[in-house]
Amino acid sequence: MKTTQDLGSHLLLSLMSCVLLSWGVGFTLSLVLMSLVFMPANAHAEINDEVDLEHVTSLSDLQSGQLAFRTEQGHYILSPKLNTEVDIEVSGLLARVMVSQTFTNPSSQWQEGIYVFPLPETAAVDHLRMKIGDRLIEGDIKPKKQAKKIYQQAKSEGKQASLVEQQRPNMFTTSVANIAPNDSITVVIEYQQMVSQQANKFSLRFPMAMTPRYIPGVPIANTEEIRHFSGEGWAVNTDQVPDASHITPPVLLATSESTNRANLSILLAAGFALGQVNSSYHQIEEVIVNDNTRKIRLIDDVPANRDFELVWQASNQQAPQAALFKQHKNGEDYALLMLTPPNKMNIASISRELIFIVDTSGSMDGTSMKQAKTALQYGLSQLRPQDSFNIIRFSDDLDSLFRQAKVANQINLDTAHDYVNWLRADGGTEMAPALEMALQAKQVTEGLRQVVFLTDGSVGNEDELFSIIEQDLGNSRLFTVGIGSAPNSHFMQRAAYFGRGSHSYIGSEDEVRQKMQTLFNKLSHPVLTDIKLDLAADSTIEMWPKVIPDLYLGEPLLLTLKAATLPDDIVINGVYGNQPWQKKVILQGGGNSESVSVLWARRKISGLMDEYRRTDNEDIKAKSVDVALAHHLVSKFTSLVAVDKTPIRPLSEKLNSQSIAVNPPAGSVMSQLPQTATPAALQLLLGFILLLASLFSQWRRV
Amino acid sequence: MKHGSVHYLSIALFIGSVALLTSGGYIHIKAQLAQWLIASAWTQAIDNNEQAKPWPWADTWPVARLEVAKYKIDQYVLAGSTGESLAFGPGYVLASAAPTEQGNTIIAAHRDTHFEFLQDVQQGDVITVHNAMGLRRDYIVQDMTVVDKQDVTWLDNDAYSHQLTLVTCYPFNAIQVGGRLRYVVRAVSMEEISA
Repeated sequence: MKTTQDLGSHLLLSLMSCVLLSWGVGFTLSLVLMSLVFMPANAHAEINDEVDLEHVTSLSDLQSGQLAFRTEQGHYILSPKLNTEVDIEVSGLLARVMVSQTFTNPSSQWQEGIYVFPLPETAAVDHLRMKIGDRLIEGDIKPKKQAKKIYQQAKSEGKQASLVEQQRPNMFTTSVANIAPNDSITVVIEYQQMVSQQANKFSLRFPMAMTPRYIPGVPIANTEEIRHFSGEGWAVNTDQVPDASHITPPVLLATSESTNRANLSILLAAGFALGQVNSSYHQIEEVIVNDNTRKIRLIDDVPANRDFELVWQASNQQAPQAALFKQHKNGEDYALLMLTPPNKMNIASISRELIFIVDTSGSMDGTSMKQAKTALQYGLSQLRPQDSFNIIRFSDDLDSLFRQAKVANQINLDTAHDYVNWLRADGGTEMAPALEMALQAKQVTEGLRQVVFLTDGSVGNEDELFSIIEQDLGNSRLFTVGIGSAPNSHFMQRAAYFGRGSHSYIGSEDEVRQKMQTLFNKLSHPVLTDIKLDLAADSTIEMWPKVIPDLYLGEPLLLTLKAATLPDDIVINGVYGNQPWQKKVILQGGGNSESVSVLWARRKISGLMDEYRRTDNEDIKAKSVDVALAHHLVSKFTSLVAVDKTPIRPLSEKLNSQSIAVNPPAGSVMSQLPQTATPAALQLLLGFILLLASLFSQWRRV
Repeated sequence: MKHGSVHYLSIALFIGSVALLTSGGYIHIKAQLAQWLIASAWTQAIDNNEQAKPWPWADTWPVARLEVAKYKIDQYVLAGSTGESLAFGPGYVLASAAPTEQGNTIIAAHRDTHFEFLQDVQQGDVITVHNAMGLRRDYIVQDMTVVDKQDVTWLDNDAYSHQLTLVTCYPFNAIQVGGRLRYVVRAVSMEEISA
């Protein structure tokens, strides 16, 4: 009797469970529509890096710019050897680089090799030669599609051919068709670039590594092009401290037998008496030719997994303060002018106003928000007592820390840190009001106003935002910081362009510190702003880039000009600290160089490409193609192609065409693929287990 | 006494199970329901030729329609590939080429909701994408690969043709979230193949 009663109560309980469960499901359903409103998705789970890759199919096991052939089974075989020989000739401000890549086909079948490799962002690639045995085949410059067609046709006709294409301004591919079994083909690429200058240190970098996590700082687009240096000329002492933002050494990767090897030699003719010459990451051997000139080579072949960097200084610490190079070509004058900005004032004493805008919309939820907070806390820690600041947060609404910017004293900073700690990601993205608030707010201090904008950039009304930035910019400069696994870099780069600032990208949490350090070092040392060249007097001068970016500590001013006839002098105006600044330069003397026109053309192309990206105007594209063809340059729309006339592969034999080169480039738009699984299955499974456990314990009770 | 504590334990377990079932079910139900709301936003976007958010506070909006007739798939693709938008539908990676336009268009979705069908996709299958302007492009599946999530080089392998890349987590039936592997389906515009 008792048992029956117990059984009865148990049944009653089970019934209640069922009722509760169905009520639960019903409740869930009704919750669903509501929670579309209130609950952020939790599907974005923490990214787990612990899992080891066991799949042979994965390309990520490869290091540096390796060459791989893809097999039909879908996995990859490594080409054990892609040897790279690099010859660099530095002459003052300019460097000519010759890269020979030898493609070896280790298999017993005909192969096509495709090799992705990095080059400096400003490299002007103007020559391609293909070496087959003793013969050299010179490459032609063609519009991209036409070049590809020529290459494809040669490929299918069994001819040996090579093609150099630009994928990104700093990433190129070489394709080589019809490499005979157990044979090799050498491709020689030549490019022109400028030497970099930071304070009185000159440097040249040859990129070899492409592993994304270890590539030091992504170049900041707007300033990258001014960072170059001088050769000879009006030398004046400079006592600027080298900028601490100098790129940090990349982490050394484990080397293996399969990595590609590179050999490198440099003829360094500095144009002034050389002091110290150092290689940052490799062992070198030096031969002194004379006071101004040295021959440098790597002691051994090195695995191509670390960038090579050579740094040199003048013997007396007196770096030249300006330099001029000229060229007369096809009835036109080209000039390249370098100027070091003035150095009289103690820049550290200039106060600034820093406005942080942080995106707290739902899309920032999870790691992105964490990164944004770390970045903000770092930014706050970099403020000096004379600076003032404010923080604006926005989602579909907005609010700010203070009504207007306040001095960075301890009390205000403490309030700010608390404010940042309490930020939560939720809601939609309404960017325009936040930008307007930041740019239109009354400026509390004189001088420069810097707006640092942290976001993943998921917006749709881009054009509206650009016009807000253009209209309201005034004295401000906009620096965008991209956050998350695939932020809208396109939007942020353009926003920074209109805001006359720069764009940086934080890909993972351990990058926050390094990237923010680079940015804030720069932000705290503005030197010359609003730089303009007085061109009214001579309208035939064509200068690129058209808008001269602001200069930060250690960066020289660099101008490339073209004119029917160069004027006798030019006048440069700018704002130095809070004061107007003017400099007149007499364009007489200077060195002659055959590469000035190439550099001018390269800068014109990148200027046109910026315009093209903004406007999508086909005329601008056509213009850039014209410039590239006229100066024999590889660009987004032009490629170099070389074809051997004689067919070599018997057409009866198959060409294994699919070959893939690997390794993400620096500044890749995505650092990784998005997270694409939900915890739903796990939760359902656990839910059922708990339900069973609960029923089981009920049963036990009986 | 002992019975009492077991009783409370079983109630606690039961509450826990309801919570988990609710949360797990919520993900699936949300994924389905949101697509209905998005459908009306899409019609609005096409009719008025403007961006329309599926619900006023949404952080995303439909940018394309993805159809795979063979698997009876008809989904609305949302802008952005963050956790937030992927809960509601496949996400268009903003950094990639615009849907139907030149370049590589990348769309990602959860392996256990919208892109569950990717495990069945075969070489030669046709995937159709409509953009908000009403343009349509048919893509043909070229290959399926498993890659590491860090491996993004292949993304702009050929920026001058019309490509479509669908990405989801791999393996499909894993219980645990947050693995390193991604399943990638690559397709090329039909026109370019016939040309």
